[in-house]
Amino acid sequence: MKLSAIQTSHTLNDSDTRPSASQTVALDVSQLSWCIDGKTILSNINFALPTGQMLGLIGPNGAGKSSLLRCLYRFVRPTQGKITLFDHDIERLSPKAFACRVAVVQQDTPHYFDLTTEQLVSMGLTPHKGMFDTNSSCDGERIAKALEKVGLSHKMHQQYEHLSGGEKQRALIARAIVQQPQLLILDEPTNHLDVRYQIQILELVRSLGISVIASIHDLNLASALCDSLLLIHNGEVSAMGTPTEVLTEGRIGDVFGVCAQVSTHPQHKKPLISYFYGYHDSTHSMADALTERGEGG
Amino acid sequence: MLVALGIITLITPIAATSFGAANISFMDVIQVFINKMANLTQANGMTERIVMELRLPRILLAFVAGAGLSLAGSVLQTVTRNPLADPYLFGISSGASFGAVVMLTLFTGSGFFENAGMAANSGIFSGSGALSGLLWFSLPFGAFIGASLSVLIVLALSGLGLNSQVERMLLSGVATSFMFGALTSLLLYFASPQATASVLFWSLGSFAKASWSLLVLPTLVIGASLFIILGMKRQIMALQAGDETAHTLGVNVPKLRLNMLLLCSLITAILVATCGGIGFVGLMIPHTVRMLFPGRQPILLTALVGGLFMVWIDVLARCLLGNQELPVGIITAAIGSMFFLLILRKRRIMA
Repeated sequence: MKLSAIQTSHTLNDSDTRPSASQTVALDVSQLSWCIDGKTILSNINFALPTGQMLGLIGPNGAGKSSLLRCLYRFVRPTQGKITLFDHDIERLSPKAFACRVAVVQQDTPHYFDLTTEQLVSMGLTPHKGMFDTNSSCDGERIAKALEKVGLSHKMHQQYEHLSGGEKQRALIARAIVQQPQLLILDEPTNHLDVRYQIQILELVRSLGISVIASIHDLNLASALCDSLLLIHNGEVSAMGTPTEVLTEGRIGDVFGVCAQVSTHPQHKKPLISYFYGYHDSTHSMADALTERGEGG
Repeated sequence: MLVALGIITLITPIAATSFGAANISFMDVIQVFINKMANLTQANGMTERIVMELRLPRILLAFVAGAGLSLAGSVLQTVTRNPLADPYLFGISSGASFGAVVMLTLFTGSGFFENAGMAANSGIFSGSGALSGLLWFSLPFGAFIGASLSVLIVLALSGLGLNSQVERMLLSGVATSFMFGALTSLLLYFASPQATASVLFWSLGSFAKASWSLLVLPTLVIGASLFIILGMKRQIMALQAGDETAHTLGVNVPKLRLNMLLLCSLITAILVATCGGIGFVGLMIPHTVRMLFPGRQPILLTALVGGLFMVWIDVLARCLLGNQELPVGIITAAIGSMFFLLILRKRRIMA
């Protein structure tokens, strides 16, 4: 497996020096709510994503992360609120125009009939093409470059179905690259991947230099690789800010219901979370863990 | 593989024309074609008439039907993401059978149900009366009405929402299919034996009625559909990757799926009305093409292979029994399933 083929021009230390929060706002969400069948899934979500930044969406299962992302890529229509993408109300964009601006990598990809990796990646051209347009040599080059970027050039003629989990995920990111979006939305891109791929996928996404929103379960990963974090709990924004601002011991305890100790990561100086264990035997050991943390801290 | 296909494509029209009851050789056919093209006055009038007025339209109709059914099957399999989808998925064939049976029982005068049938159709067919001479015309017409009816029911139930559109389509298709099946059986139960026999024969499909004038409508419809489908092929491809993915690629999923369903239903209804219910082609050919030519965008290929397959099936239908034609549907199902099993086996050995 040629992992080294992935070009991550970006190292962790660069992240501090990259132009943070350049003044333009890529995505602005205001007062977003979504109710279905009388149940409130999302309520009053407000946040803005500066151009070129990577926002990590964190929160427990069922908090509404995927729902929020689905609102952002218009798969569901929010009950209330306004979403603005580079000063365009996303409701007003045609499906095609929207897809030219926003690419999505989903959590679960369904079974594909019969597609090679190259065909899957070339799907990213769909919104850019008219009815009878054929792929130009320029498009072919773009596809080849995207495949090279994710390190899958050698697998381009293989069946997508036969790729490993990490390769599938990278192929989907290559498709998103071919789509040339201004905003990339990823729904748990690191799911089912081993540690090395988790880091690699997110660093790869970072290196693209476009605005990114990704929902991430691994808090340490989110802390290390995102410019800012949005913590969602029960459909509401619980906290938003830099990883250091968001990831505090108290908040992790409140929202996720676990005991954790937050320290500074030796390399990137952002929060490093250590969890405490022993939740199975009622409250007793929970209390133990708490005292332990008290002693340790 | 592609080269072989190309050669078969070139040879098929001539070779297929030379098979049949009248003894016309391969060279005779070429002779006729050359004569026609050079606009020469013919030497052998009989041969030319058999070739030009009987066999050629028949071969073309078989080709158009095969191409249309495979195309519809392929598109439906993609847009519903159901590998078992075929052109008759949405109750089209049972709707068409029902329409045909209503017509048959009406015009062959089968006592009790004549009146019931008349009452049911009085709006449309008042005045056409029980003239059995109209049967030839009314059977495809009834089939078309029946097929359209079933599609309309399915469409009304499936709606435009993104959620579970496919499931609702498939389930309402199955339900519609059974409903019309039951109605057909009921009518046949009370119908005369001749009516039952002719419905059975009709439902198995035949190209025997082919003529140049009969060819016009199917050719136009299928040509236009092919054009539209080729134009939308990126969107159709994107649907393969799931509704949500297609949505993120800028495809208006419910609308595309509904339009494709309408288009495929139109193809199928026209074909069912023209040459009866020919099963298995729409299901099998797309899979066969996918297996034989992996990793291609198989829309044109599917249509071509389906057309050629049908032409040769029709040749078999004409030649297998010395003095009698076999219904095409029997052969497609028999040969098709064998061929399919063979390919599956071969693929397993290779894998």
